[in-house]
Parts: sequence; C-alpha cells; structure tokens
Amino acid sequence: MRTLRLGRFAAVAAFAVVAVACGGGTGGGGGGNKGTIAIGVDLPESGAAASSGLPTLNGVKYAISKAGGSVSGWTLAVENRDDAVGGSYNADKGVQNVTDLINNNTVVAMVGPFNSAVGKAEIPVTNPAHLTMISPSNTNPCLTKDLPTCSYHPQDLRKAGVPNNYFRVVATDDLQGPAMADYAYNTLGIKKIGVLDEKTVFGIGIADAFQAQFQKDAGAGSFKRDSYDPKTTTDWRSILNGFKSFGATAIYVGGTDDQKACQPRAQMTALGIGSWPYLGGDGIQTSQCVDDAADSALGVSATTAGADAGQIPSAASTISDFKKQFTGANDYGAYTMSAYDAASIEIAAIKKALDAGKDPKKLNDFREAVRANVAATNGFKGVLGTTTFDAKGDTSAKIISVYGVKKEDASRVSAGDLTCGKAGGPNANLCFDWVKQFNFGA
Amino acid sequence: MSGLLAILWVIYLGAEDPAGLIATLVIGITDGAMFALVALGYTMVYGIIELINFAHGDVFTLGGFLGLPLLGLFGITSGTKFAWVYVPILVFVFVLVMGLNGLVNITIERVAYRPLRNAPRLAPLITAIGMSFILEGAMYLWRGPVSLRFPNLLPDTVASRFTSPAGHFGLNSGSTAAPLIDIGVKDVAVVISTVVLVILLSVFINRTKLGKAMRATAQDRDAAQLMGIDINRTISATFFIGAALAGAGGMIWALYFNSIRFDLGFTTGLIAFTAAVLGGIGNIEGAALGGLLIGIIRALNERYLSASWSDVVIFGILIMVLVFRPTGLLGMRVPEK
Repeated sequence: MRTLRLGRFAAVAAFAVVAVACGGGTGGGGGGNKGTIAIGVDLPESGAAASSGLPTLNGVKYAISKAGGSVSGWTLAVENRDDAVGGSYNADKGVQNVTDLINNNTVVAMVGPFNSAVGKAEIPVTNPAHLTMISPSNTNPCLTKDLPTCSYHPQDLRKAGVPNNYFRVVATDDLQGPAMADYAYNTLGIKKIGVLDEKTVFGIGIADAFQAQFQKDAGAGSFKRDSYDPKTTTDWRSILNGFKSFGATAIYVGGTDDQKACQPRAQMTALGIGSWPYLGGDGIQTSQCVDDAADSALGVSATTAGADAGQIPSAASTISDFKKQFTGANDYGAYTMSAYDAASIEIAAIKKALDAGKDPKKLNDFREAVRANVAATNGFKGVLGTTTFDAKGDTSAKIISVYGVKKEDASRVSAGDLTCGKAGGPNANLCFDWVKQFNFGA
Repeated sequence: MSGLLAILWVIYLGAEDPAGLIATLVIGITDGAMFALVALGYTMVYGIIELINFAHGDVFTLGGFLGLPLLGLFGITSGTKFAWVYVPILVFVFVLVMGLNGLVNITIERVAYRPLRNAPRLAPLITAIGMSFILEGAMYLWRGPVSLRFPNLLPDTVASRFTSPAGHFGLNSGSTAAPLIDIGVKDVAVVISTVVLVILLSVFINRTKLGKAMRATAQDRDAAQLMGIDINRTISATFFIGAALAGAGGMIWALYFNSIRFDLGFTTGLIAFTAAVLGGIGNIEGAALGGLLIGIIRALNERYLSASWSDVVIFGILIMVLVFRPTGLLGMRVPEK
C-alpha cells in the first residue's frame, strides 16, 4: 500500500516538475490525485507543416497550464498525435490517430484537426464514439453546413441518431472568400481578377466562395478561373499571361503553401505583374509562403478565419503571459489562441461533468457528458471573444482578418508574433501584418 | 488531320494576338528544352538495355540538390543575384554536378540493374522504381519537404520585349499595352545550352568510337561482346552520360525557376518519359522533339484553354500518337529481335 502511494506521489511530483520545467502553472502545484484525464490533440506537426501544428499545440498546453494542470482533483494531460506525413497533412494518418485516441482510456475530448480534409475523414470515426472534437482552424463549411457547393454533406459524416460531436472556434471559408472579395473590390479597387485553385477540397471551396462574392461586387465577367495540379505544375507563366490578357489586375489563389500556392507569385515579376495584389486564404499565411514568393512577397495578402488575438485589446495580457512561458521564436502562431480557447472550452466542460458527479472511469458516459456540455456552450468568454455553439457546431463569433506582407523592423520580426520568412533567409524581414477585420457575426 | 486543325488554331491565335502567342511559345520552348534534357537520359538507357530507368527523374532532381551546397562552398546563397564573377564558378559547379550525378547513376546501374541484366524484364523495372523512391527519400531526409530557394544566377537582362496590342477581332479587348513577356537572356541561355548538349550528344553517338560501341551494344549485345566490345563499360558510359545530362537539366531547372523540391523528379520524369515515347523511344532527336512539343502544348493549353486539363491533354495526345504511330513521331531505334 505504502509503496503504491509513494509511486503515485512520485508521478504527481514528476508531473509538477515537468510543468515547472515548461515554465508553467499559474495555479501551481495543484496536480490532481484522482487520476489522469487527457485532452487528445491531432495536428500536423512535422516537416513543412510543423509551422502550422506546433504553435497550435502550444495553445492547448497553455490552456492546461492555465488551469493549473488539473481539474477537480484530476490531473490534466495532453495526448498529442502528429497527422503529417512527408511534411503535409494526411487524412489517413489522422484517422489512425483518432482511432488511437478513442482507444486511449484517458482521452475524454480532443482539439483538432488542423486541416479540413483531415476533419472530413475523422468525424465518421469520432462521432459514434461521442468523442468531442473542437477544431481550432477547420474552415471548410461543408463539415457543418450543407451548402450547394459542398462535394460532401455534414450528415453523411455523422452516424444517424448520434448527436453532433464536432465543433469549431473559427469562422468558415464561405466567409473567408467573401471577406477577401470585399477587400479586393472595395479597399484595393480591383475590377477584374484571376482566380486560381490547386484542385483540393480546401482550395476549390475557398476559391468558389471568393469568386461568387467578387462577381456579386464587380458584376458578371469580372473573373477568370483556372486550376493547376500541384504535382505536375512548376511553371505558371502561361496561366498568369492568360489572366493578364483577360485584363485582371490581381490574383486570388485558393490553396495552401504545401500545394505550391505561393510559387506562382514568384514567377509574376518576370512577367511585369509583380506589383499585382496576390490574395488568398489562411493556407498562404505562412512563412513558407513568404519564402516561396521570393522577390515578389510584398503584395501578398491573406485572410484568416478568426480574430487576430494581437488586435484584441483584452487578449493582450493572455498573449504576453503565453510568451513568458513559450519563449521560442516560432512558439506562437495564427491559431495558438484559437487552440487555447478550444482547450479551455473542453476543460470547462470536463469540470462541469466532474462536478455533476460523472466518473471518467466510465469512459463512454463521461465522453458523452463532456460532449453534451461542449454543445451547450453559451457565452463562453474566451481570449478571442464570446463563443456560443449552434446546433451544427459552428461558433457565433464569425470574424475574418486580413493580413498583408510588409517589410518589418528587426524588433517586430524578433518579437515573434508575426508570420515572416525564415530567419536568416532573404525574406526574413517580410511578414504578414494585420490590415483589417470583417465581422459577419454582428 | 487533328494536327492540321491544331496548327490552324495556333495561326489564328497568332493573328489575334501575336505577342501573346510568342510569349506562350517562348514559355513552352524553355520548359520543353528542360523536359528534353531529361528525356534524353530515358531514351539512351532504353535504347541500349531496354530498361525504363524510373530513377532517372530523381537523378535529375539530384543535380539541383547537389548544385546548391556546391554553390554554397563559393559563398553563393539563395539570395545571391547574377554577377559576372559567378560565371566561372557556375561553369565549374555545372561540370562537377554532371560528374557526380554520372557517378551516382553508374553506381545505381552497378548495384540495381547489372545483376538483373539477364533476369526477366520486369525485375529491373521494379528495382528502377525502388531506386526512384530511395533517391527521393534520401533527398527528403537530406533537405526536408520544403521548396529550396535557388540563387538567381542567370541574368535578368531582357533580350527582346513583346507588348500586346488591342485584339484584332475584339476577343482580347482586355489586354493592355504592358509587356506580355520579356524574352530574357535566361530563356535564351536555357534553350542554347539544351541545343548544344543535344548536338554534342548526337555527334558523340554517331562519330566517336564509344558512341559506335553504344550503337553496337544496342543493336545486339551478344554480337557486340563477341566483337570485343566491353559491354559493361559501354553501358556504364551510357548511364554516366544520361545522368550528366540530367544533372545539367536539374541545375538549369533550379537556376531558371529558383526553386527545387525533393519530389520534383517524379512527375517531371514522367513527363520527360512521355516526351521520349512521343518522339520515338531510343531516338535522341525524337526525345528532344518530344520534350519541345510537350512544353509547347502545355503552354498553349494553359494560356488559351485551361490548366485544369493540362495532363489530360498531354496524355490524350500521347495515346493518340501511340495508337496511330506506335513507334513515336520519329520512329523507335531499338534492336530488332
């Protein structure tokens, strides 16, 4: 008996040491003693995708340390899984990861995934298991809304009769595209535009949404659309010339940097159109994009579904606390605070379930209780705003932010809150900086 | 017939917007020249041992991957721009990369193909696919999954500028007087270096003793051996030359687009292989012609139709050519059995 207790104590002490070593724990040594409850995480965390996943993972870790590393006497842990294969998100790997998380009897809810295509593959697995998923960044509307443009339908991803287990704290692409269309037409004064996509679910979805709104703003015949296959395309000049003789004065790209969405930009200078605005969604708001755009990085603008924590006065103290704990140059990213809010909502739901006397050892009941509590989230005050989930799992906070690449001072670059070209590279001082935000929720 | 229609269409496009067509052709020819350099390697190896060397596309990528650190040794980093002092360094690195690439390919042949020379043909085909994955994996482990930025060492000087007038038939009334394309020294350099390499190769194969040995080996390996030709050495030389050309191709590609990624060779290799088949596999001039044609067709399609269809169009043409002319445009040169 005695040795067992000592063992337990050692485990708790070890956790406390780890938490302190991570710089953590505002709540201090409140480590639990009833057992461990874990929040699963599934994000792309290696290779080129690491710049997306790792800062987001930090948001979850920070939420746990903010909660003091425990909830109602239970130790909180992270069960982290990487869904990147070869540097790019991989839906099959994601399915493997969530299966693993479902089979892990400490995991009661999860944060993730990062990419919509992974979410599409994972929901059918997590839904029958009642495992709550809150995505910090999935912006494809079809995961929750059955729009006419959807190539798949939310109800097909879920088992009939099983309540919804999928939520997100960000706005959706059907708003990201329109926000950029309004920005292009009203703010930049663009009358004709070339729209390009890279033949993925994400890319086509966001480009379609952009195109529809731009046509509404600028009228019929105001865009020319084309697609490229990222596997076989390395030269975009003929496509770009096509846009040019169409009379376009800007380009919108629906895509992500790992599908080469920023490489066409690098080829624009030689065609004399390097000064055109090059617009896109959150898939190009990355440091890889700034590097891929090479000498033409200035003039690239991107939207992010979600508010920029750095532009919200009430978020400032949380971010500066975060940075005291996570001091690396690349520890903070566009979705760190989304993940922090997502994890905080789950922790609140776990606490509510525990306080209602639910037993985490009865795994299925407990997961369902957490899920029901998350679904009932109403007026949750997070860092990014107030979250109320609707029946589909979408948030009431529908904020889209626009960022543009600018040349920044060394001090702002080294502060680490901007997405810049790789340190030491030729574009190290070119960064995405906040320009404007649109609120569709109001 | 369909070829005639295509030519008429191109003439119409030229009348409509000459500068736009020239721009497209220039892009097509430069891309095609690079495909051609890769296609030569496929065609040479197939010609001599009837092996589709699937690793060849990755040997091509390896050229760029080797070039980057070698340039780094001379203090040239990804942000470096063209200057005359770099020209001798560039030439030196080119030679070095071609040599290193050749040695890698000889090793591949020695390890993965030679022991299987008398095995059923499927066996070396599988080892070739295996070598392709191994090379790709090695480059991935070496430099990671991201696109590497290559220094812009070719001059950005404009050789000739084309501007687009208003459309004659009002079809492209949106076009402005801004230049549609500047034919750069860069483009000229790419095309000239390809042409020079193709001519050198052709002369080498048709005029030199080793070239004669290659032709003899291709025609009848056993008879060639009986005549005292060292076929192992001849085949090694073929792999060396093919890889050296691919290495040069990889360097030219990376210098031209200033960007290279570990998986570039997989699809570029596929397109180049298609070019070799289109021109008539085993045929040097055919490979060069096939590469140029694919580059031009691709550019025309992307400019005037839709890039969504690029691969459909190219492979559709390939199927047409093979159905109606199985030996390719210029005819195969493979040993008769």
